[in-house]
Amino acid sequence: GDWSAPALWRLLFRVLSPLSTDASSASLALETQACWVKSALCSQGYPRLALAQLPEDGSRGSRELLLALSWLLARGPLPEKLLAQAHVQVGDEMPVCECEALASPGPGAPHVQAEDPVDIRCVQWLMGRLRFRWRCLAASQQEQCTLLSKLLWRLQHENTGLEAALEWRRGELVFWRWMDTVLTACPLEAPAAAAQPTFLPRIPEYGVGKLEPIAQELRALQEELCEAAEHRRVAWEAKVGRQVQGPRWSAARQALQTAVGQELAALQWAWERDRGPAEPHGPHRLVRCEEDAPRGQHVRAAEVIQALRSQEACLEAALCRLQGQCRQELAKLVGSLPGLIWIPPSGH
Amino acid sequence: MSIVTVQLGQCGNQIGFEVFDTLFSDSHSSQGLCSKRENEAYRASCKERFFSEEENGVPIARAVLVDMEPKVINQTLSKAARSGRWKYGQHAYFCQKQGSGNNWAYGYSVHGPKHKESILDLIQKEVEKCDSLSGFFIIMSMAGGTGSGIGAFVTQNLQDQYSNSLKMNQIIWPYRTGEVIVQNYNSILTLSHLYRSSDALLVHENDAVHKICAKLMKIRQISFSDMNQVLAHQLGSVFQPTYSAEGSPHYRRNPLGLALVSSPSCFLSTFLLWSMSIETIFLFFFTGDLMENLVPHPEFKMLSVRNIPQMSENSLAYSTFTWAGLLKHLRQMLISHAKMEEGIDWQVRPPLSGLPPLGKMPFNKELHFNTSIANLVILRGKDVQSADLDGFKDPALYTSWLKPVDAFNVWKTQRAFSKYEKSATLVSNSQFLVKPLDMIVGKAWNMFASKAYIHQYTKFGIEEEDFLDSFTLLEQVVASYCNL
Repeated sequence: GDWSAPALWRLLFRVLSPLSTDASSASLALETQACWVKSALCSQGYPRLALAQLPEDGSRGSRELLLALSWLLARGPLPEKLLAQAHVQVGDEMPVCECEALASPGPGAPHVQAEDPVDIRCVQWLMGRLRFRWRCLAASQQEQCTLLSKLLWRLQHENTGLEAALEWRRGELVFWRWMDTVLTACPLEAPAAAAQPTFLPRIPEYGVGKLEPIAQELRALQEELCEAAEHRRVAWEAKVGRQVQGPRWSAARQALQTAVGQELAALQWAWERDRGPAEPHGPHRLVRCEEDAPRGQHVRAAEVIQALRSQEACLEAALCRLQGQCRQELAKLVGSLPGLIWIPPSGH
Repeated sequence: MSIVTVQLGQCGNQIGFEVFDTLFSDSHSSQGLCSKRENEAYRASCKERFFSEEENGVPIARAVLVDMEPKVINQTLSKAARSGRWKYGQHAYFCQKQGSGNNWAYGYSVHGPKHKESILDLIQKEVEKCDSLSGFFIIMSMAGGTGSGIGAFVTQNLQDQYSNSLKMNQIIWPYRTGEVIVQNYNSILTLSHLYRSSDALLVHENDAVHKICAKLMKIRQISFSDMNQVLAHQLGSVFQPTYSAEGSPHYRRNPLGLALVSSPSCFLSTFLLWSMSIETIFLFFFTGDLMENLVPHPEFKMLSVRNIPQMSENSLAYSTFTWAGLLKHLRQMLISHAKMEEGIDWQVRPPLSGLPPLGKMPFNKELHFNTSIANLVILRGKDVQSADLDGFKDPALYTSWLKPVDAFNVWKTQRAFSKYEKSATLVSNSQFLVKPLDMIVGKAWNMFASKAYIHQYTKFGIEEEDFLDSFTLLEQVVASYCNL
């Protein structure tokens, strides 16, 4: 009966919402939700026109909606997607390759000289500090408890979802059998509609028309660029041809060769690194695992550290190069301005 | 890390309102003179400490209001609601129809036990709203009946019930020429009881605040509201977020004193925090916060606040400041007992370190030079990294049994406070309060010796024995502070 149509509209709305439906969007009017569902299904290529013709007041169409839902279920791992959406973020993740050094020096050891007699008040003072730290530790334990219980509550919530997914898996076969009977009982849609398997979102005509002149313009610009570059190249070659002799030239050439060599080495390094299986990237959780765990999506901390080290070496080389450039630049400046002198920085 | 504020009595409620209003306006001011991102972090940190969020988005002060008369509470609640920017919790107050009539004993022994359950329930509800409770900030007067009597009672109960949470009492020292005859009795009872149950007593003297209003703010007819605003400004400059010691990239989470060293064992908690509230919780904890730095010794719990600059808005528009100038004045205020920028005695110098106090030293050295146990300087504003604090690291400023490295701390932030481009605040555990305390104890003792008004206290269960205990404890405190 069609009494179930509104519920099915809502269900489809929730399934199709990109984000886990929060309170505000769940409270939308049924008409809005139905309209949204229609366009979402349409944009995903749902083939049955009968759905698009359903009234949006939710009064009819439970069979069509059921078919749409089955279509979504049959198309991809929908329960898994929903579970992933609702997955509790424990937060124990670190972005790999973006680790910042946590340089926090621990508390300095109080240096009490053993020879001097210690004032009892100093001991009391230190005791007091210890007591404060202890209390704060206790408070933070409490905080952890509070947060843990919140986390547990959310995990419990997720568990309910997982249980529901399991339940679905058990009953799935029955569902599909039922759907087969529904489909058989369904009148076939007009062949014209069937021949048009998907209807993608319409691209306005004028948009296509506009693209052509832009492409032409781009091509023209590219030609112009090539031409200009060629001109410059010819001019440069002529100029270099005149200066090609002399020690300055050979020094410059050597510097260029070194730079190119470095660049090449860096490229090679990057290429070698990229050649292997795709490097895992993005957020990773830090866990302890067995020595001989199979290689999967994970990345070993040691490897990350290794990568960071080589990155560091590269950066250091770049720093050295830049410092050299700065020095040269400064020397040049000083040479051209005889009135300049060096003094130590203020405050020293 | 959040702080639950308990406002007690007329004084506590009026000051509490000003404090929340100051914190809120400052954190929402656009004059912070810092990046948008930094400003947001500052605001979030302030909010987490002092406000909780309600559904409609208006922040609610993490506060419990207590008074025995409804008048001031009603005024305070409606003033906050009228502001439209923040408010008090709908049910976060407790009041009765009849006050304590300036009788400390009545507040402590009658009102306190009678309403204990209701008041502690309210506080517990507020505590439950905090993911993580740093401690309590208890605002009360020292010499009254309701605020100070019940305040002492409540603090004691908080100590029993939340022994691990930090407790700081903001107490208002009465005018020297107060109009309440028993104010000295009330004061010694409050002080001695708080000394047993609180971790720190942050003292503001009415006389000093009054002078600041007259001399610096140039206010002609000074109202309590004016004074409370000055006071709230000082407290705000202490409690607003800052960075820890040197160049730390995160705002300290706990202004009262969380001190957890980052270690692998707190990895989990760190990550848990991360997931719960990404924007508002900062990941790293700091060692050495206010309480741990200033009041770890059980005999030295009295803190004073000095700040610079402080002036009327009109004058502020025509003033510029340098860190060197501000800190030079602040240091001299510290060593010469000055309560404000004006009238500093520039003759006072630290005693030459290493020399024994022989006859060469002026006889009344200790009357002039203010020896510190520990100091905390908080700097807020432009170019704060360039401020040179070496003047505060002189061993001669401190008691012989602490090294400046243990006794002196500094917090900084680029984010300007209130309307001041640069401002410095000093929280000092020093001899600032020895003289006023000695005077109050002396006056109370004289009255006690002639048994004046004692029956008003014994009538409600505060016996002569209790008075004697209070005298003993406070005289010990005076002696300890004198012999630094």
